[in-house]
Amino acid sequence: MAKLAVTGLHHRFGRHKVLRGVELSMHSGECVVLFGDNGSGKSTLLTLLSTRFALQKGQYILDGLDSRSQGEEIRSKSVFISHNSHLYGHLTPVENLLFFTELRQLDCSKETIRKAIDNVGLTRFADRPSRWFSAGMKKRLTLARVLLAKPTLLLLDEPYSALDTQGVTWLNNILADFLSNSGMIIMASHDPQRVAALSHTPLFLKKGQLSTKKEALSC
Amino acid sequence: MLKAAYRIAWKDMVGDLRRRSSLSSMLFFSIAVLVVFQAAFEPDRQAAVKLLPGLVWATMLFTSLMGLGRVFQAEEENGAFEGLLLASVPRGIIFLGKWMGNLLLTLLVQAMILPLTMILFNVDAWHVIHHIFGVLVLGILGLTGLGVLLAAMTQAARSRETLLALLLLPLVAPLLIAGVQATAGVMEVDGQPWPWIKLLLIFDTVYLALAPWGFSWLVEE
Repeated sequence: MAKLAVTGLHHRFGRHKVLRGVELSMHSGECVVLFGDNGSGKSTLLTLLSTRFALQKGQYILDGLDSRSQGEEIRSKSVFISHNSHLYGHLTPVENLLFFTELRQLDCSKETIRKAIDNVGLTRFADRPSRWFSAGMKKRLTLARVLLAKPTLLLLDEPYSALDTQGVTWLNNILADFLSNSGMIIMASHDPQRVAALSHTPLFLKKGQLSTKKEALSC
Repeated sequence: MLKAAYRIAWKDMVGDLRRRSSLSSMLFFSIAVLVVFQAAFEPDRQAAVKLLPGLVWATMLFTSLMGLGRVFQAEEENGAFEGLLLASVPRGIIFLGKWMGNLLLTLLVQAMILPLTMILFNVDAWHVIHHIFGVLVLGILGLTGLGVLLAAMTQAARSRETLLALLLLPLVAPLLIAGVQATAGVMEVDGQPWPWIKLLLIFDTVYLALAPWGFSWLVEE
């Protein structure tokens, strides 16, 4: 049985239909990369899978949990890293991660949090307000959440943006580790070259439907 | 789960103290209002006693509006509100945390402003100051409860502070009337504050019972 199953997922914003019957099924250790034009619905699909948006039509099951009635439980098993870092500029990395772990009711000590900060290469900045961090540093700090939360499902929206070449290699190593520990990744990307180092299944989102082929789907 | 609410309130308080945004502006605004009232009315001691309940509540209302206008300001940065909504806690807990943060801030300001008002207007009611503050606390509970809900509702609007005041003022008018009457009641020797205090308690219960539910409904997309 699939660990993640999405069936007949539809979503619209007003009269504009974005998703028209998305079907997706995944197992542990699998990575799916969503490709598609701007506005094709990649971010909407990730947001729906994060349960930030309520389902309008269709079904989404993660680890036996139905998103319609068990949204909180699904949120505790997934981490969504979107275009926004969700960081508070007035808080330091340690405080930001402490805030994150307590909101998710994770039992993490300050030492564990500092270790996660070390692992993302921000040791020197651990006690400085994150307001003045560069986009790449914010991205690294955001990814430290994955190391702490150890989720079942990781949702990433353009994770390679703002990362330099070294950062891309570093991120791919972290993601490969995550997959080898039975995690699942769904990632939206415009950059097939950067994601190439990671073992993945490419899926193409066009006209609101997912396909394994790059060509246009019939409606 | 209450730990999550406490952590949200902690984050808001720390943010405010580090940025010195709401607390300082609420304090300065209150002091300015009191000085203007003092200069305009120049009340004698007897008139000041009669003025005090209205003055205390008017100042509290305006300063609360100022704090409520900024209650979701920190959440605008880096899409942090989305991050809050992705937490694996009920939406009501998120509301509780935001409300607690605003409540503590408003109480802190009022704890400083109330003695200052009594000094500035030369009101000899020090023996009942704890009763006056108690009544204020009851009012602040309901006002901030409803206020945080309306602040969430108007946070995306362009002129949100005006909209917030427009929505909040008619809804809290009964609470303000009850608060002013209860304060006057505790200051008078043979005053009857209890019917008004009971009314305050009813408003608090209604606002605080409905607000978390309203917030959960509001943030669902």
